[in-house]
Amino acid sequence: MKNNLKYVLKKELREVFRDKKSLMMMLIIPILIPFIILGMSALFEMQFKTDFTDYNKVGFNYALSEVESELAREMNLETFVYQEEELEEKLSNGSLQLYVVKTDNHYTLKYHINQKNSSYTLNLVENFYEQYKRILQEQELALDQQDTALLDIITVSEEQIGENNFVSTYIVGYAFLFILMAITISSTYPATDTTAGEKERGTLETLLTFPIRSQDIILGKLFSVTLSSIVTGVVSLILAIVSFLYVNQKFTIYQSVPIAISGSQILIAFLVIVIFSFFISGLCIAIASQSKTFKEAQSALTPLTFVAFFPGMIAFMIQVDNNVLYSLIPFLNFSMILNDLSVGIIDISCVLAMIVSSVFFIGIVISYIIRQYKTEKVLFSL
Amino acid sequence: MEKIVEVKNLTKEYKTLKAINDLSFEVKKGEILGLLGPNGSGKSTTINCLLSLLNFQHGSIKIWDKEMRPDAYDIKAKIGVIFQEVAVFEELNVYDNINYFCGLYITDKNLRQIYVEEAIDFVGLQDFKKFYPKQLSGGLLRRLNIACGIAHKPELIFFDEPTVAVDPQSRNSILDGIKRLREQGATIVYTTHYMEEVEILCDRIIILDKGRILAQGTCDQLKELTKIEEKITVEVSDFPQKLIDEIQTFSNVLQVRYENNHCVIIYKKGKNNLEEFIDYLKHHHIIYHKIFSERPTLNDVFLELTGKELRD
Repeated sequence: MKNNLKYVLKKELREVFRDKKSLMMMLIIPILIPFIILGMSALFEMQFKTDFTDYNKVGFNYALSEVESELAREMNLETFVYQEEELEEKLSNGSLQLYVVKTDNHYTLKYHINQKNSSYTLNLVENFYEQYKRILQEQELALDQQDTALLDIITVSEEQIGENNFVSTYIVGYAFLFILMAITISSTYPATDTTAGEKERGTLETLLTFPIRSQDIILGKLFSVTLSSIVTGVVSLILAIVSFLYVNQKFTIYQSVPIAISGSQILIAFLVIVIFSFFISGLCIAIASQSKTFKEAQSALTPLTFVAFFPGMIAFMIQVDNNVLYSLIPFLNFSMILNDLSVGIIDISCVLAMIVSSVFFIGIVISYIIRQYKTEKVLFSL
Repeated sequence: MEKIVEVKNLTKEYKTLKAINDLSFEVKKGEILGLLGPNGSGKSTTINCLLSLLNFQHGSIKIWDKEMRPDAYDIKAKIGVIFQEVAVFEELNVYDNINYFCGLYITDKNLRQIYVEEAIDFVGLQDFKKFYPKQLSGGLLRRLNIACGIAHKPELIFFDEPTVAVDPQSRNSILDGIKRLREQGATIVYTTHYMEEVEILCDRIIILDKGRILAQGTCDQLKELTKIEEKITVEVSDFPQKLIDEIQTFSNVLQVRYENNHCVIIYKKGKNNLEEFIDYLKHHHIIYHKIFSERPTLNDVFLELTGKELRD
């Protein structure tokens, strides 16, 4: 019997790359990546350019002294004096960002934790009272004819080392995670079509009567779905890099720390795309092969999109550090390595652990599919 | 004659349902064997077991004296299958579809090209080579389906109800094609629930019901199983009950019934029944419109064996 793998693969590829829906899934999802990068950059830019003068309205339940009024003017605080009940009402309806209740020599700063930029106003008023306290202390010391240097026994200053690269790593991290999601979504359609779709059209039944080994049929299907997923991943990666270059030029937030992707980062990202494509395509084929109809397969594959995306998303959000153990866990390992790449880390031991783990799990998935194809269940699930 | 297929005590069960129950039969070289039975009788299950698409609990299947298994690729290479549902690739045109199916058997490109052209000629799709399946009518699609199954010149061909929902013209074309395949030396297993098809096509017939073989043999052998010799139908607007009762008493008459202006007399023996009956009608001054005589059909055989019509 001749080896039919090449022949089956050729047919499967023709099916995937001639099918309009498969092509759409393969190419349209990556097109969203530039929009996401542009959108996120624009949001960050807006955030950094926010005018905070609107967040300086502070209420008091007492009449401010001359010193306090002068200081408030210097610090651009807009001050209002009302009864405590009124202050509470104005804080609730947003007319004030904070109010101060004075009891003897104690000042309580009341603010709403969920109000937009409340922490900004809190810092401002805390600073106001620090300065006011200093003025009063200096006045007291002057009355006692003591040296005000007493207030500066120690001094503290701060110096920032390096640039704040939060925005650029955040954008790159999300872009990489979205590439994984794009691959997952784009692999579900061809995987469904080549298994449940073929079953529904009756061609799988015919294919199984041919003198072809089950392995050739399965590998033909796996390679074609994987190739389409790799195309999605690579197109997504290229579009992401082009978008990074564009936003570096376009947005001022990247002027001090531009998004930079090195050749080795791109190479590792490509490796992750290839291995992830193999893994997710195998899983999609294994799940879809058990379904009787195209629709049933699509429903069965929907949770996979979430399973593929969420472990990495959570790890990214809570900033979990990668290690070899995490790199052995399917799904999590791909996102963790891409997370590392987004902050410029390439840990070879983690990459190797991801490769070993993936080869092992891909092997399990393939042997599971082959076993399925050797039973009648693949055609006649009762 | 050489045995191509040998099935012994084949049993296929789905939990509590016995889809095939202790089936044994043979298919001889060059013959067309018909599997006849109503829907759910086990015809397609039998074909699927023969093709190793279904596992079975008991029995054995040998094709060319070798056990049939999913990995019996040397056997599969000489088999052609045409399923009830049209199974072709939508993204390939007529020529490419046949070429693809044929390519899984024939590696030599030049030889394959000849085979594909011959298959196209055989099913009469010469004018539709560049057409895509969605551009073809139902009948033409069936012909394409057949061409895909026979292009590699299989020695054993399975047809699983290929004429279901096909117009009469395409149906005749399909049946003629199957006869020509047999003339070219192919051995054919043909399943259907149309008794007319097996009568005109098959050398031997197996009647199946509820997964069991009810009877098998040539068409004439099967008809001999019935007690019926002849069935005479006469279209008559009024047929007195006393005449019906009188005919019923004749020694060679098995049954008489009159409904919807048609009187049907079933004879169990006799050679000149029609002539005698016409004389009888003239004698009683009965005016009739049409009268005709029929030999027993396979439906009568099925009715007698199971107590129900083949299409029930």
